Amino acid sequence: MSNKLEIALLAVLGAGAALAQDLPLEGRVNINLGKDSPVALVGMSTGDSHSSSRGAALVIDLHMALTLRNTGASRIHGVALRVVSQEITVGGKGSVSIPSLNIGPGESFPIRIDMQLMRPTQVAGGPLVDVNLDGVLFEDLSCKGPDRLSSCRTLTAWDLEAQRDREHFKHILAQAGPNGLRQAMLESISRQSARPQLDVRVQRAPAVTSAALGPVRTEQFAFLDFPDSPLQPSKGTAQVAGNEAREPHIEVLNRSARAIKYVELGWLVSDPSGQQYLAASLPASDPVLYLPAGKTGIVEQDTALRFTRAGQPVNIRSAVGFVSRVQFADGKLWVPSRADLERESLVKVLPASAEEQRLDDLYLKRGLDALVQELKKH
Amino acid sequence: MKHPNQETLALHAGGDLGPYARWRARRHLARCVECRDEIARFEQLRQLLPALDNSQDIHWGRLAADMKANIRLGLAAGECIRTDEAAGAGPVWSLARAGVALASVAVLLATGIVLERPGPTVARETGVVVQATADGVQVREGGQSLGLMHSGTSREAVTYQVGAQGSVEARYVDSETGYVTVNKVDVE
Repeated sequence: MSNKLEIALLAVLGAGAALAQDLPLEGRVNINLGKDSPVALVGMSTGDSHSSSRGAALVIDLHMALTLRNTGASRIHGVALRVVSQEITVGGKGSVSIPSLNIGPGESFPIRIDMQLMRPTQVAGGPLVDVNLDGVLFEDLSCKGPDRLSSCRTLTAWDLEAQRDREHFKHILAQAGPNGLRQAMLESISRQSARPQLDVRVQRAPAVTSAALGPVRTEQFAFLDFPDSPLQPSKGTAQVAGNEAREPHIEVLNRSARAIKYVELGWLVSDPSGQQYLAASLPASDPVLYLPAGKTGIVEQDTALRFTRAGQPVNIRSAVGFVSRVQFADGKLWVPSRADLERESLVKVLPASAEEQRLDDLYLKRGLDALVQELKKH
Repeated sequence: MKHPNQETLALHAGGDLGPYARWRARRHLARCVECRDEIARFEQLRQLLPALDNSQDIHWGRLAADMKANIRLGLAAGECIRTDEAAGAGPVWSLARAGVALASVAVLLATGIVLERPGPTVARETGVVVQATADGVQVREGGQSLGLMHSGTSREAVTYQVGAQGSVEARYVDSETGYVTVNKVDVE
């Protein structure tokens, strides 16, 4: 059958996918917050969850709204939930995290989880989804939870970035007043809306590169050095063919006086026109990477990344790396300063932090006065 | 705004439109979120193609050769009894029958060649893939997938970040709760 006929057939099958049916979810979703959890489940709704057929596959749409209460004595600054499906046995997992929270003891807050599961055949009985608490971050940066996804590290890094960016905007408010803050918010929003984004597909341990992509070449990384960074990348390569880059391999030096157990590098790529994009982050952690003071180590991944934009392949011309996150052996984290990130080469391509994104949204929806009040809260 | 029909979008998703139609479709897609979503759905459906393809075990070349051999056998058998029939049929009739037989063989050969010719190589995905979709992030393996969706939030308002170790996250401000929400899928 020709490709065109196959597509046309699938189009007809796709058009028939509208025949959805309600999916009773009683007993199909397990919520497990764990023993001695600092949050309690006080409400749950499964809304208009439903299943439908799409071609030969069954698609299950789960819409859950959970309400959690802070049952501890400290303010909560972030929550991470691990989401896995017993029915859908893909080699992966999901998580839903809420950073930039400020929930006092006894206060409740909502979390929405919208999932879509797809499998070729009808699902059996039993739980479809398990939702487990993975980490809760408090205002003193202590963290509680099973932490199977290293959520505590991620929530802490987000909180450090939030503190940094709140201080930045508070400083602008103090120095330039409300008009200065308004100008800063407009610049932030404009920068984010103009930021070019690539569609990136990641495949782990893939087979050989397709011959259609063209010859494979070794692309050398260039690096941006942040003077206050405890880590210095020295040299690195990635294998590049057409719009695919694979096997990044970067040598880093711990130039601090403390041992490092987690490193995350940012990876920028350029297209043939010179347009730069944030491609991915490159993490490495103990036990694969443990860096005593003054030692070097390797950050590498065995994945392949394919880059497209608006459905079209984006060929890669150059690669630039920079240090985006470091965790020391004692658990303390380092994140780049605003001055580091506001360099000409980074400011136009890096996304805003979660907190800056929240403040932008607050300004857009509720105006300058609400933003000023928010910045004065803490 | 006039949208391209379903067939055009489906053909575009498969890269099967001609140059002019493709140019027109791209122009439309650049400013139509709805059709971009539709394209993304077709691309998801295309991932199911390998599972639908159950014709790999048919050897068209062997089938054509068998049929050709059967026809030759039939023609040879016809030669054995031709002397009786020849008395009642003129040379024109015999030539016509031979012509039909040869034409049949030619059609069979042409069909065999067409069916056996090498088609475009389709790279089949193996292993686990993580990627952003039209309305969420997804981890997929074979015909199964698990996705976390950012329902009610436009793609333009979502910040995607990729981890080269095999993760994709979508960060957005939930329109209902007002909280920043980070959905992430990981390869295990």
